[in-house]
Amino acid sequence: MDFLIHHMLQASARRHSAKEALVHAEERLAYDDVARRVSGLATGLREAGLERGDRIGIYLDASVPQVLSIFGVSQAGGVYVPVNGLLFPDQVAFIARDCGMKGLITTPEKLAPLAQALKEVPSLEFVVLVGGFGLVDSPLAVHDFEACCALPPPSPWREQAIEKDLAAILYTSGSTGKPKGVMLSHAQVMAGSSIVSAYLRITEADRILAVLPFSFDAGMNQLMTAFQQGATLILINFVFAREVVRTLLRERVTGLAGVPTFWSLLAQPTSGLQKQPLPDLRYLTNTGGAMPQTVLATLRSLLPSTDIFLMYGLTEAFRSTYLPPEELAYRPTSIGKAIPDTEILVINEHGGLCKPGEVGELVHRGPTVSLGYWGHPELTAKVLRPNPLLPPELADVVCYSGDYVKMDEEGYLYFVGRRDAMIKSSGFRISPTEVEEVLFRSGRLKGAAVIGLPDEVLGQSIKALVVVRDGEPLDPAQLREFCAANMPRHMVPKVIEVLDDLPKTPSGKVDYPALRRREGL
Amino acid sequence: MTLHPITVRIREFLIEHFPSARKHPLTEDDHLLANGIVDSLGVLDLVAYLEREFNIAVGDDDLVPEHFESLRRLTAFVQDRMSVGSR
Repeated sequence: MDFLIHHMLQASARRHSAKEALVHAEERLAYDDVARRVSGLATGLREAGLERGDRIGIYLDASVPQVLSIFGVSQAGGVYVPVNGLLFPDQVAFIARDCGMKGLITTPEKLAPLAQALKEVPSLEFVVLVGGFGLVDSPLAVHDFEACCALPPPSPWREQAIEKDLAAILYTSGSTGKPKGVMLSHAQVMAGSSIVSAYLRITEADRILAVLPFSFDAGMNQLMTAFQQGATLILINFVFAREVVRTLLRERVTGLAGVPTFWSLLAQPTSGLQKQPLPDLRYLTNTGGAMPQTVLATLRSLLPSTDIFLMYGLTEAFRSTYLPPEELAYRPTSIGKAIPDTEILVINEHGGLCKPGEVGELVHRGPTVSLGYWGHPELTAKVLRPNPLLPPELADVVCYSGDYVKMDEEGYLYFVGRRDAMIKSSGFRISPTEVEEVLFRSGRLKGAAVIGLPDEVLGQSIKALVVVRDGEPLDPAQLREFCAANMPRHMVPKVIEVLDDLPKTPSGKVDYPALRRREGL
Repeated sequence: MTLHPITVRIREFLIEHFPSARKHPLTEDDHLLANGIVDSLGVLDLVAYLEREFNIAVGDDDLVPEHFESLRRLTAFVQDRMSVGSR
């Protein structure tokens, strides 16, 4: 019986032992090879001190070791915490502290700039290094990744977890404050994988190209669906859209998931997509925001035999809706209907169901609703709430998305806007307050407010409105430079405007709606 | 060692626009792409800058890692395109 994440890999390794499981540049691994190395790594992690439920960070770029680590941590009975390779040392240390990380899998190159920040993480006991560990001077116990992977696992393997146990923590931002860790159990991740595989009809014949990071739920699901179905997963590190097109062709990729910014890059003439028919590409899926209509039209004309699925999901509920490709021509702006085994309710402010056309909050009910935020029960209680339509004694928990939507007469959903100030740019969720905090750290400001402006390529671009401390001149370019030095690129404001004062609400808070109106929004 | 004037200008642009170019002193041979200093969106900004600043045309086929891998490669690429333009 398959009830833990690594069981999906083991089952596929039994069914298709010699089949190609994982491809990265010149590396090609069969299922039995992946499963064997994962077992070795799980053995090594237990020997390193991993106990059931311990959180293990994975701070690696797209690579074979990254995939092995996710399954290795699962098999060892731990909880994997994928950390986006773009994050800065302070942000990585924040995540490590927040989840009480016990071990970290990374490279010597990535560890070096982190070493100082990790001193503030008392829970951290060991690191596992990919690619040479002799040169590292660390107060922590250091283990060699490849040596772990080569360990013979004890037979029989002693399984510790059950499907209700925590499998993963995915860090994501909200409307305020620091990133929060969304907790997913083994059952939730596996349900997401089964459901998406069902409506995308993913089989062992598929070859899926993973371009989204595994720290993002939709990215992780590429890995999970591929290994669950015994398909092949292809990893890529790319800068030029042209490299993606070449890989699609060379690897005869059949499935591709992306965010709107990615499709904008791919739809540009420089990608070479228009010169290259891709008859093998069976489907593509968009998530993380609305695909610009011009981009959608370009992709439809360049890829006439590819099914395009527009999807919607939020990490807190993993996956929520999709628009069947045959509906695309009739309702290209819809986010579709509920995924299988899931109910999507549009709830008004009184807790009742909205009528067609009426705007309400998207509420998700189904097996992929997460366990909430690690260490923040009060925030969890705001998002995971009792089902307003069922008797309380059923204790049915649903996920309030914070997204306003409306439903048409035929039950198709349309995104309207956010309930809060959260910004979504190039597929990242960005909290305005996190950007504002960095702006304040410059020491030059007495006021700062960050809003999102519509942007054709990014979805939203970030604009900062700042008020300088009395009598001090400020060059916005300098402030932008300060931002660029202190946060990842996707969080840096594209535009900074200096104001004499920020509009305030009667209670003295920054009046964000007034700032948006000022931009004509 | 003195850097080529083209290298200096591109380096200044990178340092101003790409935060991770500042984590260490950026040398001529640092890997800009593999180290994630320039990402897929950033490369579009970089191309626009090169076209504007050096008055060169960057064609579809020029968008390959070999030309953008390092400051040294970028400088050679810009020099090459500038000589094409003047022929």
